[in-house]
Order: sequence, then structure tokens, then C-alpha cells
Amino acid sequence: MGTLKDAFSFGDLPASERIGFVLFIIFCLIFPWFWGGFAQTVMIKFLLFCLYGLGWNLIGGYGGQVALGQAKNVGMSAYTVALLMVWWDIPFWVSTPLGVIVATVESFILGYFLFRLRGHYFAIATIAVSLVWQQLFINWDLIGGARGVELPLKKTPNFLYMLFDSPIYYHYFAFLLVMGAIFYMNWFRKSKLGYQLRAITSSEDVAESLGINIHWVKVKAYCITGVFAGMGGAFYTVNYNYIDPFSVMHLELSIMIALMTMIGGAGSMWGPIIGAMILIPLDCYLGAWLGGSGIIGVDFMIYSMMVMVIAAYEPKGIWGIIEKARRRR
Amino acid sequence: MEMLLPAIISGLLMGMLFALVALGLAIIFGVMNIVNFAHGEFLMAGMYTAFLTATFLSVEPLLTLPVAAMVGLFLGIASYYLLVRHLLKGPMIAQLLGTFGLMIFLRYLAMFIFGPDYKTLEHGLLIGKSIKWGPVVLSYSRLGTAVVSVIAFGIIYWLINHTRLGKALQATALDVEAAGYMGIDTEKMRGLAWGLGGATVGIAGALLTNFYYVFPTIGLLFCMIAFATVALGGFGSIKGAFIAGLIMGLIIDLGGTYVGPQHKFALIYLTYFLVVVFRPQGLFGW
Repeated sequence: MGTLKDAFSFGDLPASERIGFVLFIIFCLIFPWFWGGFAQTVMIKFLLFCLYGLGWNLIGGYGGQVALGQAKNVGMSAYTVALLMVWWDIPFWVSTPLGVIVATVESFILGYFLFRLRGHYFAIATIAVSLVWQQLFINWDLIGGARGVELPLKKTPNFLYMLFDSPIYYHYFAFLLVMGAIFYMNWFRKSKLGYQLRAITSSEDVAESLGINIHWVKVKAYCITGVFAGMGGAFYTVNYNYIDPFSVMHLELSIMIALMTMIGGAGSMWGPIIGAMILIPLDCYLGAWLGGSGIIGVDFMIYSMMVMVIAAYEPKGIWGIIEKARRRR
Repeated sequence: MEMLLPAIISGLLMGMLFALVALGLAIIFGVMNIVNFAHGEFLMAGMYTAFLTATFLSVEPLLTLPVAAMVGLFLGIASYYLLVRHLLKGPMIAQLLGTFGLMIFLRYLAMFIFGPDYKTLEHGLLIGKSIKWGPVVLSYSRLGTAVVSVIAFGIIYWLINHTRLGKALQATALDVEAAGYMGIDTEKMRGLAWGLGGATVGIAGALLTNFYYVFPTIGLLFCMIAFATVALGGFGSIKGAFIAGLIMGLIIDLGGTYVGPQHKFALIYLTYFLVVVFRPQGLFGW
């Protein structure tokens, strides 16, 4: 019971944050009535990246570990769901748990070995692993190689396979996933694991001297991150009906997730959502606006500039700026 | 056996260039304990500088080396004073993501300016010529690159070990505070470390242009090779960077010959894991 109360009680947050959260929920609920078409696509992408970011925030924000490999967990789960559906016609609700398990087990094995490394050694190692996986998936003909996998057409709406013809269903499904993630994070930040992880971020040596098994705590957090990424990957597959190594397995996705969370405010409850709120519309509308003109890379230039400014002056991100302003008042 | 000797020779030649690429990373890490994720992008900047200078002024590619070195020097010093100086005040994660942001920025800036196309130099003193020596075919560009790399490496080695400036740099690396008490301008030394790092990798880029394509996302590959090299040699060790560079060259060429060319970079990453897990201080680290 205590767990449930911790997850659903936001009592320890200031009133302004609670009001903001309620407004966010209302906005998401009524969104499909007012906007459709491209705005709806952007909204679903925003919710998906909220999910990715909330997951990365665990290891990258609370844990302070620069893990640049979210994409491979997203990709493994997405590929599991897609291939099971294509090869053996297995429904979404059966293949998703399997996909999440694949992503989590990969996180566990990788985390178990990589968390022997600290700081930059760890960050470089995660990039190396991502590059190896990315290369492997691009060249692996059995799973479609660089061509990717397309889901079979089914009669819609089909709840068993989560294939619908209207984005509204996906909007609410993504919204439910994000709400689940937020309640989980709300529980997490008050849990023993959450405190242990933050202790590790402030000082590994002190945390170790307090009897925290830092290796094990990091591996656990990394596995939970894998679960979030796995859910995101499964959702990605049914939402877009098509996956390829460049969209779900690529290092660029990992980079985007990390930069987004860092800009919003790593290690804070709302940081990833704020980051996604800024970057995803920027990304989509900038892409739509510049797409025809053949100009590429402007979006990444803008994010990276924001990240450099934030890393230099306010490592806690936009949320850090908000908190500072609140303290001053 | 037929393929062994050519692979070893080509590996060693390439290794000398890897050593020069890794040198800058080793200097920066040695002096201030920060990993420069943008290192590969500095190399890319050197490559584009050499390519553009050689193409538009139609000069011999080897003459573009000083230009590329100046661009690298400027880029390194500018990154230090505009970005890295401020990053040092923050936590580790901010330092990592800060230079990471610089990497993404330079990469997509190049994409924005030059487009994603692969470009290559076609005319030059070394380009397209080779000598045959038994089973070994040596292209002039590889040979010349290796020679210039070793010369550049030697100059930097001499600069660091046998001049007052180098001694001051080493003192800053050992203990910033104590070096400050001895009257060394540590801030300037750190800026210099970034400048030297940028200049050496700029030269490496200009050399690489002689036999490699130029494109905006080339940096990450060489950055990963440089990380693996520096980890193997010991972060901050200059002697280590040279020997590790040769080993990396051998791994890439022998791996490409015997395991298959598509796996040669996976071998580099494997080496990196084995080193950082089993011998984190590297061959010559302390």
C-alpha cells in the first residue's frame, strides 16, 4: 500500500508543480479534439520521447552516468515486436513483454560488465557498443538489414495487434504509457533505490563507504532504463508500422534522448518532459519547414548549442533555472 | 603468409597517423583530465581545410599542412576559452555532455555548410603513385603521411620534454595548484594544451585527405579509434599514444585481412573493452 501511496501522492511537491501537472494531463486528454493531422503526429512523437527521456533520466539524471545507448534497447524491443508479428503473427500484447524482456536482459548483461567502468570510460564504451549493434543490424539480412521491417496489413481497428487507422488511439495509448512512467518516477524518487542512486551521483566513494553496493544499484537502474526504452520501442513499432536500423537503432536517437533530457533538466522529475516539450515541436516543425529546401543539420546545431550553454552555465538544465528563480523569490 | 607482410607494413604506416590523431587527445587529457569528444570533429575540420585550400587555391596538398595546423590551433584555443573553461566548474556529466555538444555542433555545422557528400582530392605530389617492392605495394600517400606523422610527433615530444614551455605544461598536468604557486600561468597552459591538441589533429586531418574521403560525419570513427588508442596507451601518456597507435594500426589491417573488412572496427572496440576492463591504466599510464 505504501508503494501505491508514494506513486500517486505528489503532496511533497509545491502547489505550482501540482497545478502544472494537472494542466499537462488536461492538455493531453483534450488534445485530439482540437488538433489533428500534423500536430497530432508531433504530439505522439512528443509523448514517445517523454517516455524515452523519463527512462534515460533514471540512469543519466539521477544516476549521473552518461549512457549513450538508449537506441539499442529501443531497437531490440521494436525488432522483437515487429519480427514476431511478421514471422509468426504473434499479437502485440504477447510480443511486447518479450521485447521488453529482451531489452532488459541486454541492459543487464551490458550494465553488469560496463559498470565496472566510471565516467568517460563508461560513456565511450556505451558509444562503442551502440556502434557495434547499429552496424550489426544494418548488415543482418535475416531481419531485413538496412531495408527494415514493415508490419503486415491487418483489418483495422485491431486491438489485439494494436493496429488502428486513427492516430487518436495511439495518442491515448502513448499518454497512458507516459502517465505510468510519471507515476513510476514519482515512486522511484522517494524509493530506497532512488536515494541510493542520488547518493552515488554526488559521490561514489562516500556512497560506497555507507554500504551501498554501487555496482549493483547502477545495474538495477540501467535495467529499469531498459524497460522504459523497450516499452517505447514496442509502441514505436505499432505506431509507425515500419522500422529500420536508422530510426530505432541509430546512435543519433541515443544522442537526441540524452541531449533532450539534459536541456530539460537531468535528475529532476519534470526535466525530461520540459526537454521534449521544447525539442520535439522544434524538431518536427523545423524539419517540415526546412525539409524542402535541402538544408540539413540545423536542428542538431540548435540542440547542441543549447546543450553547450546549459552544460557550461547551468548543468541542471531548464529545470535548474526555474528552481533558482523560485528560490530567489 | 602472402598477405601478412603487406598487412603489417600498411598497418604500421596507418598506425603512425593514428598515433598523431591520438596525441592531441592524450595531451588534453593529461593536462586537465577532460575527454574531448569533439576530437574527431577537429580532424574533420583539418580535412576540410586541406581539401578546400588545395582545391580552390590549387596548391599542392602537402603545403596545406600549416594552414590546417593553424585552423586546428585556433579551434582548440577557441573551444577552451569559450566552452571548456566554463565546463570545468561543473560536475563530470556536464563536462562530458559539454564537449559532446561541441562534437555534434561541429559535425552538423559541416553538414550544413558542405552537405553530406563524400569528397576526395585528385591531384597532388603523393596522390595515386606507388612503389612496388616484392609482394608489398606502398602508396606514396601512405608513406608520406607516415613520415610526416612521425616528424610531427617527434616535434611535439621534444617540445614537451625539452623546453621550458613543455616543463610548465607537465607541471600543470601533475598539480595545477602547485604549478600556479611556481608562477606558471596555468590557465594559459590549459589553453595551450587545447591549442596543441587541435593543431596536431589538424595536421593529421590534412595528411589523411591525401588518401581518404572527406565527409561531415567522419569524425566519430576516428574519435573512437583515438579513444581506443589513448586508452591502450594510458590516458595522458605521450609515449603510450605512439606505441598504442602502431598497435591499433596493426589490429585494423591484420583484422581487415584475416577476419574480414566489415569487422575491423568492431575489433577496435573489442580492444577498447578488454583494455579498460582488465588494464584501465593502459600500457604506460600511471
